[in-house]
Amino acid sequence: MGTRTPLPILQGLLCEVAGGKLTVTGTDNEITVRTYLDVEVTEEGKTVIPAKLAADAVRKLPSGAVTISSSDTEVEITGNGPRFNLRAMAVDDYPQIAEPDTSQAVEVEGGMLTQALAQVGVAASTDDARPTLTGVMFEAEDDLLRLVATDAYRLAVKELPGVAGGTSKLVPYRALRELARTVGTGKMKVALGDREASFVTDDGRLTVRVIDSEFPKYRQLLPESHSNRLVVDKDSLLEAVGRAALVAEDHIPVRLAMQSGGVELSVIRQEVGEATELLEGDYSGEDMTIAFNTRYLTDGVSAVADDKVVIETSSPLEPSLLHGAENEDFRYLLMPVRL
Amino acid sequence: MDIPGILHADLDAFYAAVAVLEDPSLAGKPMAVGSGVVLSCTYEARAFGVAGGMRMVDARARCPQLIVVDGSFGAYSEYSKQVFSIFETYTPRIERISIDEGFLDVTGSVHLFGSPREIGAEIRKRVREETGLAVSVGASTRKFLSKIASQVAKPDGLIVVEPGDELAFLHPLDVSYLWGVGPVTKRKLTDLGINTIGDIAATNPDSLTTMLGRGASSHLYALANNQDPRPIERHRKAKSVGAQSAIRSQIRTLDEVVPILQRLTDRVAERLRAKDRTARTVTVRVRFGDLSSVTRSATMETPTSATGAIMDVATALLKKVVEEFPNHETSLIGISTSGLGVGEPMQLAMGVDAATTGGTPAELEYQSLDASVDELRRRFGRSVVTHGSDLLSSRTAFSDGLSDIMTLRDDGIPEALDGGPEYVTEEDVTQSG
Repeated sequence: MGTRTPLPILQGLLCEVAGGKLTVTGTDNEITVRTYLDVEVTEEGKTVIPAKLAADAVRKLPSGAVTISSSDTEVEITGNGPRFNLRAMAVDDYPQIAEPDTSQAVEVEGGMLTQALAQVGVAASTDDARPTLTGVMFEAEDDLLRLVATDAYRLAVKELPGVAGGTSKLVPYRALRELARTVGTGKMKVALGDREASFVTDDGRLTVRVIDSEFPKYRQLLPESHSNRLVVDKDSLLEAVGRAALVAEDHIPVRLAMQSGGVELSVIRQEVGEATELLEGDYSGEDMTIAFNTRYLTDGVSAVADDKVVIETSSPLEPSLLHGAENEDFRYLLMPVRL
Repeated sequence: MDIPGILHADLDAFYAAVAVLEDPSLAGKPMAVGSGVVLSCTYEARAFGVAGGMRMVDARARCPQLIVVDGSFGAYSEYSKQVFSIFETYTPRIERISIDEGFLDVTGSVHLFGSPREIGAEIRKRVREETGLAVSVGASTRKFLSKIASQVAKPDGLIVVEPGDELAFLHPLDVSYLWGVGPVTKRKLTDLGINTIGDIAATNPDSLTTMLGRGASSHLYALANNQDPRPIERHRKAKSVGAQSAIRSQIRTLDEVVPILQRLTDRVAERLRAKDRTARTVTVRVRFGDLSSVTRSATMETPTSATGAIMDVATALLKKVVEEFPNHETSLIGISTSGLGVGEPMQLAMGVDAATTGGTPAELEYQSLDASVDELRRRFGRSVVTHGSDLLSSRTAFSDGLSDIMTLRDDGIPEALDGGPEYVTEEDVTQSG
């Protein structure tokens, strides 16, 4: 449903009842979502209902079955007593929405894909002025699918082995983050066309216009190797960074003094105070202090799926690489803050 | 060093002046604009004791031959717009207070247009020539003082209160010049024997408090001692660094100006680095052959002192001007950097696109190039490294433009004329590579 669209009809949801199913469609001209629901059909037909009002109305009804019926001009929503009569919108005004072409689609486990997207999505930019960076790159290789996102300050890469045969496209993360909520996490067909990307499950489908620009050549950004390696407990690190962030707010970096036996985190904020904390861990390499934006660091550490997280560094001015101690299918490259 | 960079510009008898412009037969006559109340009146009417805010009946009583026009011209906002667009060519930092007055912070424009006094004088001249209106200007380091200065300057005057001279300027003035002193307060003060602002400053604050209450008395006491209670950044250091160059021979296209801009940027960025400052905002000024001019500015995500990064922003701004004003000849070009800061932590960025600002590798490269250039110049003199485009232009028709760099200013202090063009041999340039 479009919230900022100039077309009023897009603030409605197209509801179609046929063959024992209710199909609900919403679109903002960029993203289109269609979901299916088994319903008890008394009469087939279709209408366009004002999305926000109808959803709020249903939410406020006492729990139990909801009946929706419509005439040409009105939609009536009832359930256990209360009754809403909403003005219907013109069905003919609703844009024609074509079925996506899924002939070339690749089948994936929806839960696995949405989880992977959440991991890399934190690195996608939300700055509309740099549209290329607001997408997640779907990169098809012979035997795997690679998902990549970057906002220039960090770069996240996730590899999904065994997902093969797709095409490579750049898909807005704004749409991808809605996948689990809209079409669920069951078996999913992924069709990446030249204009649109479609994600289809038994529960529904989401279609979004792909971003038509070249994704940064990110491979050259990933260093071959790092000289220093720190291994720490993920949750302990997250908590420590969280405590440091209390003092840091958004603009002050957290310093990580890496040394044998672990890492000392500190935040120095001239007019407010300091926070320091020693975290045990395994460190190999030269003693070195590197600083990061606390939010970027938290995003990366949180996205690592293992219990232990590895932070590889070369120098305080070069990108660090974060990944799990066991698995390197997810990697998070993070630019430091120069002090 | 502080400069009197806060200007208060106030159009003289604005409504009345516009009425006269619209109907020249009213010129030189006592005339008031308004219906029930005098909105504005000519100085001829003021001579009879007519004043703004007076009931029209009372005004007529004082001046029976008063001509009254109802103030329903649509022209006011047009004139106002025209005047403010003149202001805008001198600085983007304008606080419009009403249709006929505003504050202009020209601290960042002194490299581009000269001292606040020169800017004030030029504004007054241009407003007079282009609109026919008289504007009085006050300049000082503080808003309230500039506003008082413009009131004292009226009609049709300019008063600059230099730093250090504030109290000498303020103290002889009547208390009614102070913001917050209306007829009631003035009467109370007169009863206390307080007539001038200097009297307030010399009065025991406690006796003022007894008479006027705590809030009003501390307010007046602060103003009388030249302390503006409004929060204004204090201890201002250099707020901007800039340079400009007049071009004697008329260069036909703005594209040809780029090498000059490059050279000016080189200077400015070098000075930023010498002062250990970074800049966040870049302003470019272009003056055309007909002496009209435009300024454009851009603010960067992350501050920088890298010549290349500032140059990229400045060039983009210049390009915009070129697109907006094609085929204009250029008589002057200037660049100013402001929003100065000292080395804050910098979030580094990956080179994912063409951006050269904000910690990108391109910017870091510019920085390390700058460091080498600065070092070479420290050891061998400025002329040891220069831009390739300067070199090229010295061999082509462009050499004229370069030798025409006439003045370079830094922090408002005029420099001696630039020591002529800094041509270099190819050998010298290789050293920069």
